[in-house]
Amino acid sequence: MAAMTAAPAPVREPAWSLPRTAIGLWVTESLIGVLITALIVGALLIWVPADLGGPVPFLRWAVPIAAALEAVIAVGVRPWLKHRVYRWEVTGDSVYTRTGWLSQTWTLVPVSRIQTVDVTRGFLQQLFGLATVAVFTASSQGTVRIWHLEHGVAQRVADDLAVRAERTRDQAT
Amino acid sequence: MTDPGTGAWPGAGTWPVGGYPPAAARRTSPRIVLVDTATFRQARQLVPIAVPALAGIGLGGGRWTVVGLVVAITLVSLATAALAWWRFSYLDGPAAVVVTRGLVSRSTRTVPNDRIRGIEIEAPPVHRLLGLVRVRIDAAAGGSSSAGRGAGKDEEVLIDGVSRAEGERLRTAVLTKRSRVPVPAADDVDGAPVQPDPEREEEFARFDNRWLLYAPLVGGYLAVPVAAVGALSRILDELPARLLPDVDGPALDPPVVAVIAVVVALVVLAAGAVIGAAVVNWRFRLVRRGGSLIAVRGLLTRRTTELEIDRIRGVAVADGAGMRLVGAARVNGLVTGLGDAQRRGQLLPLGPRAQAEELGRRLVDDPGPLTPHPASARRRRIARGMAAGLLVTAAGAVLTVTSGWWPLLVAGVVLTVLGVPLGLGRYASLGHATGPRSFAVRVGWLVRERAVLERRAVVGWEVTQSWAQRRAGLASVVACVGAGRGGYIAMDMAADDIAAFAVAASEPWAEQLVPGTELGR
Repeated sequence: MAAMTAAPAPVREPAWSLPRTAIGLWVTESLIGVLITALIVGALLIWVPADLGGPVPFLRWAVPIAAALEAVIAVGVRPWLKHRVYRWEVTGDSVYTRTGWLSQTWTLVPVSRIQTVDVTRGFLQQLFGLATVAVFTASSQGTVRIWHLEHGVAQRVADDLAVRAERTRDQAT
Repeated sequence: MTDPGTGAWPGAGTWPVGGYPPAAARRTSPRIVLVDTATFRQARQLVPIAVPALAGIGLGGGRWTVVGLVVAITLVSLATAALAWWRFSYLDGPAAVVVTRGLVSRSTRTVPNDRIRGIEIEAPPVHRLLGLVRVRIDAAAGGSSSAGRGAGKDEEVLIDGVSRAEGERLRTAVLTKRSRVPVPAADDVDGAPVQPDPEREEEFARFDNRWLLYAPLVGGYLAVPVAAVGALSRILDELPARLLPDVDGPALDPPVVAVIAVVVALVVLAAGAVIGAAVVNWRFRLVRRGGSLIAVRGLLTRRTTELEIDRIRGVAVADGAGMRLVGAARVNGLVTGLGDAQRRGQLLPLGPRAQAEELGRRLVDDPGPLTPHPASARRRRIARGMAAGLLVTAAGAVLTVTSGWWPLLVAGVVLTVLGVPLGLGRYASLGHATGPRSFAVRVGWLVRERAVLERRAVVGWEVTQSWAQRRAGLASVVACVGAGRGGYIAMDMAADDIAAFAVAASEPWAEQLVPGTELGR
């Protein structure tokens, strides 16, 4: 029953994908990360003497190669993979998202159990006109975040969810 | 909400505090002044100011200075304690508990009864001497719109130093007044809500002193002293040799010394564990009174914890590796909105497993025997068990090649081999079950826990699938609940079973997860 490749997802796929500007945001985030890694690796190569013995000569070529590989994946591959994986959906009675890239996470929370809805805009998100909707429940683990929606959409989704949660909230927490 | 016009209490905010008769506020017992003086409860706060001040003045040493200092500190303690007592009052009104305090600026705290989630009565040793208790009232903070990040933001009201009878009265009064129906519109706050015969008691569990013998096997106790011994030996290593005492004694073989040391250490640890368990759990009793479960325990500090049965969403039966050897287990109630859940939720500390299971079944429907997870989950557990060892082995191999230092390589290989039984053990623990009204999941090996939860407890599902899990046709699912740890995982289930499990273990909204229902509504 389990096909080796492209096994069907364990649960349903949420209907809507993120705006393509999210890819730009992820690329920018990756570039910043790559820059920091490059500085650290550069410092390693400059200040750690090569004749220290032990594993240092091995690390001197292994670490830069690993960092370069990471950089290529982070900038050139991961943002597009993420854009394919990240999906979201608000249905009549629930909020549903999928996040991740290699590891994937599906989160489903019914509107009736929503306690708080937040919209946050990080610094980079503001540059790209995006925002994150965070939906909180009574459970510390039952938090749904819809990442990187267009700001107007995020605000509308949050308002809609807050109103509906107020109407349908039940007491079972 | 009844009659908002009278809700003009300071600090009442937006809460529905209606229909107060201006009843006289109550005071704590004056005897608390003695307790606080003796324990320097208020005076302790002055230490950061007092120490630099004294250092500035400078002390001439000598006996009289010391005596004078002691007298002065005691007087300060007495004065502050008396002030605190004088300025403290509380009132359990029909709709809220109001506590007023503060030396210079008065602060009034109003906690509506329907936000109160539990009351705990403690009697620390000094309090017991004077017949006093401390009442801790647990309340949910604010409305749900201001509750912030999910659960755990609770506030606490402390009424320290009332007589034992007053403590009992306060508890019964608050719990009786609290509305049973938590719907604000249908709230008859003024009338006394129906209380199902509060006096009848039913005993659920009673501590048997023989259970103390389980304590050394709990494991949690063992980690701390072992770490201490490790730290001590490191200190001894680093001390210069001339500081160490010259032990001449009878010449013993090093192996004999080592064995004796280990045996002595084990005996001391075991005794320590038993004593620790006795102090905490002495004369533990769990009874049901009306709609509440009441747990009483403790040798030095007697502690009474009250849990509302309506708020119990499930139970967690924990039996670690050591406890399984002797058939012991402990039971925690998974209660919504309970601060400090690990301690307060405890319904059976370290008892025989049969009794633990029995207690669990009494509180939540048993969903039946657990279904084991597929064979690919066993391979995955073993692989995960060996992963850490393999990592160490790889690092060790690099070190051996580059600098000829091999002990790390050996340690890595040993760890890798040990990972196999660990993985098998962890796989054997995995399981899930669904019943008509509840479901169960079990996970862990060294610390194993089976959580049984009511279907209505689930406030969300989180399914995760890593790349390796996708290859193996597995996935994990976390049931998010607003009680206990907040989430309970069914690890490495067959990916195809996830949606069906979620639907069977929660309410109809979970059908959104079933593949093939694209854009359900």
